[in-house]
Amino acid sequence: MGALLTATTSITTTREGQASLPPFASVVEGHKAMVYSIAWQFLHDRVAADELAQDVFLQLHKNWASIQSPAHLLFWLRKVATHRAIDAARKRKSKAETSLEEADEPTVLERVHDSFLASYLKRMVASLPEKQRSVIILRYQEEMELEEIAKVLSMNVSTVKTQISRALELLRGKVSRRLGKENVL
Amino acid sequence: MKKPFLKLAIIAISLSPVWAADDLKLPFNLDKLAERATESVDVTLDQSTLQLASGFLSKDDPDEVQVKKMIGKLKGIYVRSFEFDKEGQYSMSDVQALRAQLKGPNWSRIVGVKSIKGENTEVYLLKNGDQIGGIVVLDAEPKELTIVHVDGSISPDELSRLGGHMGIPEFSKEKKKAKKDHASDAKEDEQDESER
Amino acid sequence: MTPFEEDLKQALKRQEPAGDFTARVLERCAQEDAKKRNGFWHGFWTAPAWRLGAVTAALVLVAGGTAYEQHEREVKREARGMEAKRQLILAMRIAGTKLQEVQQRVKESEQIEQ
Repeated sequence: MGALLTATTSITTTREGQASLPPFASVVEGHKAMVYSIAWQFLHDRVAADELAQDVFLQLHKNWASIQSPAHLLFWLRKVATHRAIDAARKRKSKAETSLEEADEPTVLERVHDSFLASYLKRMVASLPEKQRSVIILRYQEEMELEEIAKVLSMNVSTVKTQISRALELLRGKVSRRLGKENVL
Repeated sequence: MKKPFLKLAIIAISLSPVWAADDLKLPFNLDKLAERATESVDVTLDQSTLQLASGFLSKDDPDEVQVKKMIGKLKGIYVRSFEFDKEGQYSMSDVQALRAQLKGPNWSRIVGVKSIKGENTEVYLLKNGDQIGGIVVLDAEPKELTIVHVDGSISPDELSRLGGHMGIPEFSKEKKKAKKDHASDAKEDEQDESER
Repeated sequence: MTPFEEDLKQALKRQEPAGDFTARVLERCAQEDAKKRNGFWHGFWTAPAWRLGAVTAALVLVAGGTAYEQHEREVKREARGMEAKRQLILAMRIAGTKLQEVQQRVKESEQIEQ
């Protein structure tokens, strides 16, 4: 009887949390750019990033009952997307850690739509070590707070701060050497 | 003049078993044209499917808000479009059965344009008293045939006003835009060169 | 934020996946649901140790309805709705474009006559 009540209670709790969530299709539509962009920043391959993003939402669909609130949903998506992207990038190691010198020149479309600096910054971020790349993407693409980044990546906040400052130092150094920009703040 | 033509993938999806509106039946032999076509579009949206789609239109996108207002008065939208790799893959007899229905008492042909390039476009309106009850656009080009039937209360002007939105070209502004795009592309290329 | 960090933020702007992404996801979800339904019942009836617990669990589920089945129905409805929307936008584009072309041809023929 106790087990019966507990099971009933947990279903009720899930329902109340679920009630505040938008419909699944709206969730996909509303968060597809975020999930896809996280994947792309690690893989730099539109097809692979698209497939990975689809996998994330498929996993969400399977685990839908466990999502407790819109805030939990956002956290869940970021966490799963980032971890899957890191795993996928590790498997494609040779492509993901291409150094800036070996990276392809920006395409014509990128030259037209991105500034030259933006193109370079994207490539330099792609050449960062995995942990630094992760914190930079979550900080500057997703605009997350340090505590949120720490939770997603299962790190201490102090580790996140250290990784960010190391990454920024590396990036600034590369920008000033490569593009001859002085006093990069 | 180069005709703008939508590159259409083969979409053989019918979301409803109903093919056409109550008083207009698309001739079934149009399916034979799909076999000869390199690309074809087949869209059948009856009233219930339109209502379903309407529920998924965004309130934040002004284009989709406009579409939502339009389809609120409609009973159905039907599109058959075929592109062929060479001329002579279809003849007007293929659509003669449809044209015969459009000669009925409630249908009026409001536009008929023929060009020397062999393009033949007709627009028909269905009148319900003072109201418009439907529009048919029949566009026959040497390598393309398109039939659009919008069933319900809508005017050609309303549909035309979609020009410039949702990827629909607005011909009066197209030439000016083409010149402007060319000028700004040239300027960006110059800037890129000077940054290196 | 420093100017460099602003540049970084700008460079790392989000990008959109290909246009029909949502429809593809929903289709995959529907396929997974179909697989699950076919697989679940086969396993259920060939595992005798589950039966007592399964009966109790089934009573709870039937009594309260299942959030999962409701969710499944909703996903299917959403997949149909998104596809209907996509077809609607396509139809409006074709209709709008054809009328624009007609207007253009009428204007051109009027200019020729003048």
